Amino acid sequence: MAFPALTFVAVFSLYPAMDSFLLSLYSDFPGPERSFVGFGHYAELLHDPVAHQAFIVTLGFVLLSTTLELLMGTGIALVVHERFRGRGWVRAAVLIPWAIPTVVASQMWRFLLNDQYGAINAILFGDRVNAYVPWLADPWTAFGAVVLADVWKTSSFTGLLVLAGLQVIPEETYDAARVDGATAWQRFRHVTLPLLKPALLTALLFRTIDAFRVFDLVFVMTQGGPGDATQVIQFYGYKTLFTEGRVGYGTTISVTVFVAMAILSLFYVRTVGSKVLQREPA
Amino acid sequence: MNGFHAVFSIASSSPLRRLSPWAVGLFAASLLSNVPFAHCRDFGTARGSSPTLVSSPVTLHFVTWKADHPRVWDEAIQRFEQVHPHIHIKREIAPHSSTAYHDLLTQKLRNRDGSLDLFFMDVIWPAEFATAGWALPLDDYFLPSEREKFLPATIASGMYRHHIYGVPSRIDGGMLYYRKALLEKYGFSPPSTWHELVHQAQAILEGERTTNPLLRGYSGQFKQYEGLVCDMLEFVGSHNGSFLTDDGRRSNLTAPESLQAVQFVREQIIQRLATPAALTYQESESLAVFLQGNAVFHRNWPYAWGLANDPQYSKIVGKVGVTTLPRFSEGKSTAALGGWLYGISAYSRHPAEAWTFIEFMASPEMQKHFAVHASLAPSRLALYADPEVLHANPQYKDLLSVFQTAQPRPRTPVYPIVSHVLQRYFSRVLAFPETDIREEAQEADRKINRFLALLRDL
Repeated sequence: MAFPALTFVAVFSLYPAMDSFLLSLYSDFPGPERSFVGFGHYAELLHDPVAHQAFIVTLGFVLLSTTLELLMGTGIALVVHERFRGRGWVRAAVLIPWAIPTVVASQMWRFLLNDQYGAINAILFGDRVNAYVPWLADPWTAFGAVVLADVWKTSSFTGLLVLAGLQVIPEETYDAARVDGATAWQRFRHVTLPLLKPALLTALLFRTIDAFRVFDLVFVMTQGGPGDATQVIQFYGYKTLFTEGRVGYGTTISVTVFVAMAILSLFYVRTVGSKVLQREPA
Repeated sequence: MNGFHAVFSIASSSPLRRLSPWAVGLFAASLLSNVPFAHCRDFGTARGSSPTLVSSPVTLHFVTWKADHPRVWDEAIQRFEQVHPHIHIKREIAPHSSTAYHDLLTQKLRNRDGSLDLFFMDVIWPAEFATAGWALPLDDYFLPSEREKFLPATIASGMYRHHIYGVPSRIDGGMLYYRKALLEKYGFSPPSTWHELVHQAQAILEGERTTNPLLRGYSGQFKQYEGLVCDMLEFVGSHNGSFLTDDGRRSNLTAPESLQAVQFVREQIIQRLATPAALTYQESESLAVFLQGNAVFHRNWPYAWGLANDPQYSKIVGKVGVTTLPRFSEGKSTAALGGWLYGISAYSRHPAEAWTFIEFMASPEMQKHFAVHASLAPSRLALYADPEVLHANPQYKDLLSVFQTAQPRPRTPVYPIVSHVLQRYFSRVLAFPETDIREEAQEADRKINRFLALLRDL
């Protein structure tokens, strides 16, 4: 029974990954004869200031966006978990940002943040047109804008995961806590949060891995600029591979990201996964 | 908005995953052919195997970009199909942005897509396409007697190592648009030096502050993309600087002329006249500022003339002038050379028919069609004396000299790499005002030199 599945994995995951790895061991130049350079490209990557910067930008993006998304997601989940009139509509509405294709959302944010006709400037400054800020022109606000767009778009996804976690917490535990005289905050702090941990960790896992692969937001909103301030590692890899045509170095970047994510996933599955599984029977 | 479609098709999954099938295909191809990358094809064979011009119907696959004037192109292709009913042109519309178009096209060519016959090459690509063996050499089709009728700069951009790979569809050169009425109001004539431009812009900004608080002195393309390289080439070139040394073998960014020009852009153009918002502008955004009447001076390609005088897009119809770009007092005016060349894929199965198409589209009649209806500057010299062309584009008369002296960007098979290094360098020094220009230039120099050195053994 395992054979078809294994074949599928081998053909569509293992082979391309191994092939990319092999490609990364060959030189890009000069000319027609590619020569075997072993781990030369990997050594080059270690000393490439552009790659270092891209890695730092990516890490910053991952840390900032995942943290904010977990906070926002939990907030959203707590709200739509409550019973109120029109909850079904609100729940559906919350998911809209997540349902919009990232490219469309990125394009939308680019327009919203435009220095002349962008809605954000109009809301913040109204008629004081001289105060309008070119958000994507400054390295720091441009980076912030990319994070903001990601948080806007995926907070509802974390919200969904956390909501699933909230729904499996039995109502009786809250009743018991109330009987013991726990305040709303105490109920949240000592009942909800511990029982929510598996869901939160799952959301964290999904979001970190996803954030590491961020590409489309940057591609549409900033093209990595200004001054490479928003150039994430995947975009750098893309430019190297597809625009510059440096197959060896480009795949080296891809393979490195792949390995980094594989290690991260393994770590998560080992530590977080076991916790999630332990909690499951409860 | 440019590149929107491209983004849609390529950004939907992670690059890592997208790489895989591509990598597989590439690897498989390399196993089969034994000549993995730059596959120099004997084009004689390619031609011999192609069907001769009989009237069996042929469909040519033409990968083109989303045109600024789609209807003008539709009409041109219709005309071709009327004259050559046995050839059908099937267009695949790629992104408008040069880089996104390049990425899509080169991916097809790396995969040796036999269904692809015709494409456009930006003037910066022939060296790369020739070295990789993607573009069919056109020496036997595009004869020297015919080449003589084109502007020399456009022919030079299609040549690499004594072969010709592209037929110029038009020429582009950077030029200075200005608000004629505004300049007259303040008693200025169009500036001939950059310092004059700064002086005039500031006087006008001062005077117009109450009537139009949104008015800026200058609007150009300073986003981190290919256009930034063109704009900066013009500043550096007009200060007697250059990106590469004269022999094209070394990077020349740390020369004092270059450094001073870059510093001028940072301090005078970005921080005083254009505002840092220009760091997010490509052609269309910067043109929009000008067409809304919010810029005194504007740098753009020839196509902007038509739009600036079209009441549907422009608030400044009839109040616009265009002239050569300014220079520094010790340099000469420099326009970046742009433009698009028709090319035939080395893997095309119908090169003869493809040539029929190119010959038709690059003919004087069709170039006239594009010049009159889309204000695309012809690559054929004779059309600059054509009354109809001049009637639609009176500015060509004065600007012919710009086209004749337009400055090419570095011609090298590794141009995409050189361009990325230049984009990073310029964008960093403009966006981070505290950076040391010399240090950044040194870093860029080192990287460019490394790649140029790799090519020497080629």
